[in-house]
Amino acid sequence: MELALIIFLPFLGSLGAAFLPPNARNAEAWLAGAAALAATAITVSLYPQVAAEGVLRLNLPWAPALGLDISLRMDGFAWLFALLVTGMGTLVVIYARYYMSPADPVPRFFSFFLVFMGAMLGVVLSGHLIQMVMFWEMTSLSSFMLIAYWHHRGEARRGARMALTVTGAGGLALFGGVLLLGHIAGGYDLDTVLAAAPQVKAHPWYPAVLALIALGALTKSAQFPFHFWLPHAMSAPTPVSAYLHSATMVKAGVFLLARLWPVLAGTDAWFWIIGGAGLCSLVLAGYLAMFQQDMKGVLAYSTISHLGLITLLLGMNSELALVAAVFHIANHATFKASLFMAAGIVDHETGTRDLGRLSGLSRAMPLTAALAVVAAAAMAGVPLLNGFLSKEMFFAETVFLDRPDWQRFGLPLAATLAGVFSVAYSLRLIQRVFFGPPAQDLPHTPHEPTRWMLLPSALLVAACVLVGVVPELVIGPYLRTATGAILGADAPAYSLAVWHGFNTPLLMSFVALGGGALLHGALLARRGATTVPLLESIDGRHLFDVTLTALTTGAERALRRLSSPRLQMQMLLIFAVALGGALLLVKPFGIGWGANAPQPLDPAFALLWLVGGACALAVAWQAKYHRFAAVAFAGGAGLATSLTFVWFSAPDLALTQLTVEVVTTVLILLGLRWLPRRDERIAGPGGATPRLRRSRDILVAGGCGLGLAALAYAVLTRPAVDGIAPFFVQQALPQGGGLNVVNVILVDFRGFDTFGEITVLGIVALTVYALLRRFRPAPESMRLPDQQHEQDGDASPRDSQEAMLPAGAMMLPAVLVRLLLPLALLVSLFFLLRGHNAPGGGFVGGLILATAVILQYLVGGTHWVESRLRIHPLYWIAIGLLLAAAAGIGAAFAGAPFLTSQAWHGTLPVVGELHLSSVLLFDLGVYMLVVGATTLMLVAIAHQSLRSQHHRTATGDTR
Amino acid sequence: MIQHLPILPILLPLLAGVLLLFAADAHHGRRAGFALAATAAQLATAVTLLAAVDGRIDVPWQDGGAVYALGNWAAPFGIVLVADRLAALMVTLTAILGLSALIYALARWERAGSHFLPMFQFLLMGLNGAFLTGDLFNLFVFFEVLLAASYGLALHGSGAPRVKAGLHYIVVNLVASLVFLVAAALIYSVAGTLNMAELALVVPRLDADTRTLFELGALLLGIVFLVKAGAWPLNFWLPSTYAAATAPVGAVFAILTKVGVYALLRFSILFGQDIAPAPFKGDWLFYCGLATIAVGTLGVLATQKLDRLAGYMVVISSGTLLAAFGFTGTTLTGPALYYLASSVLGGGAFFMLIEMTERNRTAAADLLAISFEAFGLQERHESEHPDEMAGVAIPAAMAFLGLAFFSCAAILSGLPPLSGFVAKFALLKAAIAAPPAAPAEQAILLFAALLLSGLAGLIALSRLGIRVFWDSERPTPRLQWLEAAPVAALVLLCFVLAFGAGPTMAYFDATARALHEPAAYIGVVLPGSRP
Repeated sequence: MELALIIFLPFLGSLGAAFLPPNARNAEAWLAGAAALAATAITVSLYPQVAAEGVLRLNLPWAPALGLDISLRMDGFAWLFALLVTGMGTLVVIYARYYMSPADPVPRFFSFFLVFMGAMLGVVLSGHLIQMVMFWEMTSLSSFMLIAYWHHRGEARRGARMALTVTGAGGLALFGGVLLLGHIAGGYDLDTVLAAAPQVKAHPWYPAVLALIALGALTKSAQFPFHFWLPHAMSAPTPVSAYLHSATMVKAGVFLLARLWPVLAGTDAWFWIIGGAGLCSLVLAGYLAMFQQDMKGVLAYSTISHLGLITLLLGMNSELALVAAVFHIANHATFKASLFMAAGIVDHETGTRDLGRLSGLSRAMPLTAALAVVAAAAMAGVPLLNGFLSKEMFFAETVFLDRPDWQRFGLPLAATLAGVFSVAYSLRLIQRVFFGPPAQDLPHTPHEPTRWMLLPSALLVAACVLVGVVPELVIGPYLRTATGAILGADAPAYSLAVWHGFNTPLLMSFVALGGGALLHGALLARRGATTVPLLESIDGRHLFDVTLTALTTGAERALRRLSSPRLQMQMLLIFAVALGGALLLVKPFGIGWGANAPQPLDPAFALLWLVGGACALAVAWQAKYHRFAAVAFAGGAGLATSLTFVWFSAPDLALTQLTVEVVTTVLILLGLRWLPRRDERIAGPGGATPRLRRSRDILVAGGCGLGLAALAYAVLTRPAVDGIAPFFVQQALPQGGGLNVVNVILVDFRGFDTFGEITVLGIVALTVYALLRRFRPAPESMRLPDQQHEQDGDASPRDSQEAMLPAGAMMLPAVLVRLLLPLALLVSLFFLLRGHNAPGGGFVGGLILATAVILQYLVGGTHWVESRLRIHPLYWIAIGLLLAAAAGIGAAFAGAPFLTSQAWHGTLPVVGELHLSSVLLFDLGVYMLVVGATTLMLVAIAHQSLRSQHHRTATGDTR
Repeated sequence: MIQHLPILPILLPLLAGVLLLFAADAHHGRRAGFALAATAAQLATAVTLLAAVDGRIDVPWQDGGAVYALGNWAAPFGIVLVADRLAALMVTLTAILGLSALIYALARWERAGSHFLPMFQFLLMGLNGAFLTGDLFNLFVFFEVLLAASYGLALHGSGAPRVKAGLHYIVVNLVASLVFLVAAALIYSVAGTLNMAELALVVPRLDADTRTLFELGALLLGIVFLVKAGAWPLNFWLPSTYAAATAPVGAVFAILTKVGVYALLRFSILFGQDIAPAPFKGDWLFYCGLATIAVGTLGVLATQKLDRLAGYMVVISSGTLLAAFGFTGTTLTGPALYYLASSVLGGGAFFMLIEMTERNRTAAADLLAISFEAFGLQERHESEHPDEMAGVAIPAAMAFLGLAFFSCAAILSGLPPLSGFVAKFALLKAAIAAPPAAPAEQAILLFAALLLSGLAGLIALSRLGIRVFWDSERPTPRLQWLEAAPVAALVLLCFVLAFGAGPTMAYFDATARALHEPAAYIGVVLPGSRP
């Protein structure tokens, strides 16, 4: 339970911190400090248990089906790390309280700080690899938010983004690697994985697992070649740098490598990948650290170099090297965090971290200087400090490396060289900042900071000294528990003494110290230039920026080839995919025509189709410049279709097709008026490309059309399948109560389809209305068409609205059309009522009435009609749908499902025998909706001309 | 009453829509209240349905789902609704997303044009109908209902870019509908039935020649579904339409592509993997899904605007689903359904969120930011106070938006600790474990595609997020509670999905198991038939 509490406390604290007011510095610090301190206390109190039992566990079920469990596991190694995270966290909170300016919005800082602490504890205490990856990514995300804490500064934003991109990518790789690893091991539980070491190393996926996990660990620990993000992360507030980017988060990578060391280490691939990256980082970053101008820059490169040392130790495939690595993890955290704190203090008190401007601060801030000198000495590996001990172990390991000759000699040399660099940059840092003549032109006058700010640093430095002088007493048992937890029974014997006698490692240490001092004295101290010799041109940030820009532009370019904003291209692709798919996939040429013999061809019918086909071709031919002609031709083709239905005795279809043709053609013609003109004289570019394009288009279009025709022919020449059709024909009268099978299917058997379709019609009408309500036609369409101009003369719309009949040429037709309206109403009702037994139905009836209404508008003009005939198409639509729904819902009262037809047959006193059915109500709904929808579209178009007239009058442009 | 449960998700929005038509001129508050109540009722119905099919409520149906015969005409002659686990899941997702988007729309967008509320209800009706129906032609009808409503909604708010993108969308979908009609006719002409369960029975019995005709029909049908699902190369219309649509519409459109995915899944399983026609066959779906992920990833990397980015995120999630459903074997279905739920909720929240964050931002600021980034220039306000150390306090609205953005980004690109990560984990775990039953290269490709698309999402979202949220020169957007609440609710649901991964995954797995036994589905729809 304590395990859960350790992780839970920081998260709880974070939640609390987020809701405190922006200026509550003290409350925030108390809250964060309390959370961190409590977590530290619990961790410390758990040590006896860990030492005695080996491993503490807490398992809670989460998603067992996925093999996901909440599993916390603390062994000696995890304990050491947990102590590092919580203890360091407590110190940094104290430091941050005094570091942050009163103007800073601290809730954000402390809440993300605590999120990070919780996530990092989650990483070290996870007993489940997937859960660890989750916490791992959370550390990346919280680090992102903390680096960009001062996000008004471009550097901070850029650094944060770089860190997130690199470590986030690494996290994804780690995720992949862990997935593979868990699959090989047969579970994601850490114990299971650790037990499966032999299988893992023998598995063919081992190289992939290693590569992916190494990618995760090396990016996180800022190892070569992914090291470049860490120096840029230094734009974070210094407490963040001290905590995340030296003591804890960057250690997650090496933590993971050590954690999985028993499973993955011991192979050549491990040696080259991990050891190689470590060595490169160790030497390269040490070299770069010597030439940095920013105090934090020096520390950042030094951190990379020291992490390289740890990585190299882990990569050496030796148990003793692992012990040294774990030891150095703890040592590095103490001296580096304390140095970062010193850098922050200097920055805070002087206003700059520039090594070129700082000088001689030891007079103004002697305590800070003393602490920094000791910590830097530990970093350089001066005897009697903790850095010396682990560095000696490292030197010893390089000497006793069990590898071929050139590696056995090369490695100690490289290690010594890195030691020289390390001494040199430590000296340079201290000498530049604290010694020499006092600096003159600093932004603030330097003075010693408050004691509380020095306290955390002092505690850390004390730890450095204590470990350095009496290692066995201070850290010995804990180190043994930690390494024992990783290595188990294989843990080697070693001694943590300060003095091991005169041996090669000691010699190397002294060479490093002497060489470093020499290098500093001879070269660095006198060097005024701010550049890095030899490696100036290699700039990680530049490479990163170039890569990302290339990624973006490359993606753009690829996208332009793989996608198109043009509608034509999309249309072409849909048809091409359909045609190509049909040709490729199912071998359509293998389909034979059916066995049915074609009927003899009637010349009249052939002529009808010749005309219809010619009309259809004409539509395509004229569609570009002569829309009116195209629509008229389309009407011709539609008419031919209607006649075909008549010819083959399908009166319902013919009636419907005919009325639909009429209404749609008229509505489209009305709409055409508002489309911008297309001028034949403005031709597109000529030449070969358009011709090629057109040939391609005609190929696809022709192919699709012919293919469809062939399909239809193949189906029609086949005997009809005995499916559900016979049932409809036989049962229409006995069960459906109607003679007209088509109508019974529409309103009863498949009434639900009709129900849906009328809804569609209603929605389309609403859409047209909504679209046109805001539509503003192009200016060139505003002028009255010539024909209308000639007819109307100067009659103003307002006059005609008052008159009995529209003025002008339309007077006579108006009389006729008004007479037509009641007749049409009657006819439409007739079609509605007879529909169940004879051709007709609600749909046809509705369209007939709608046609009559359209005629009123056409002939009378919108103003004139609407001042007399108020149709509320919206209500017609709504009532229609409501009636249809009511007809369906009524069935529920009889205990039957929706749309079950209910009939009543009886006699009424005056009317006589009567048959009433819910089906009729349904059809009435269809009827009303069709009228409403058609009229609504008509009104939407009609009001267009009213608005444009209004517009004309308003602008004074009457003619 | 309970026996009418399956029709309610269709009937409720219809009636609500119709009544809202009467109320076009009514007082805004009353209209909004009614729409809200109606949609909440749908959510309650959907949840009841979910509980019913999962066996948590006592219902008169057998296990496997409810069959509702419309007009009391038994299948295969009449139309039936089939409410099984998958349908109930989709209906519930629709209701959740619909309610959130509606609440969001009530704050502002509803008044940006006419008839938003009825149209919105009709869209929900179409979606629910498409998920519930067990009839091929009825599926077409509900596709039409939802498309017709989506046309209106895509154009809602007018403005040249919206109309331009909306008209492309309309034309593409009209063509798709035409193809659907041809496909349905072709399939009916050879199979003699439209009932999906009976189709599954009839198809294996077709002779070779007729079968070719059937496969042509199925091919066309598959193309239609792929267009709806936004599969490459049939998805050029998607990013611009989604980007141009108003925020609540974009949010509810997040589930629109899933209709196509749903239909593909339903039919490919009903047809059976061994005899499924080409576009429904595993391999085809899988590689089509991979191509879609790839193009979506490129789009995510290339785009410089949040709304288009969201569109490409939808493309990636569609591709992931297609690839997962096309993956050989049945082990990925459950995880893929989990992914579907997570991406629908996260995507919906994202669309609303970006509209809130993009308020008060000028296009010029964007352009400047891009060029600053490309040339690595110092930003304009930076040199004025280089040594300023104090940070900028983030007002509460920005803090909320930032957190929500963060969460949505995590959900959509599959970063921990939200549901997106759990979904990706479940998918990848199943994919790795699939060989040797499935080809190893499929596992490797899916593995790479999911990780790389996640990385692209991380890169693009962090880039645009930084540009939008840490631009100190912009005023803080004004938010209303009505707008913040649905986003927060959707994100919270994703938390619930992640932390309740145990029970939710159990439901998704049960759904997948039921799906992969089409005999059960057929048995429920056509009692007495033997496959």
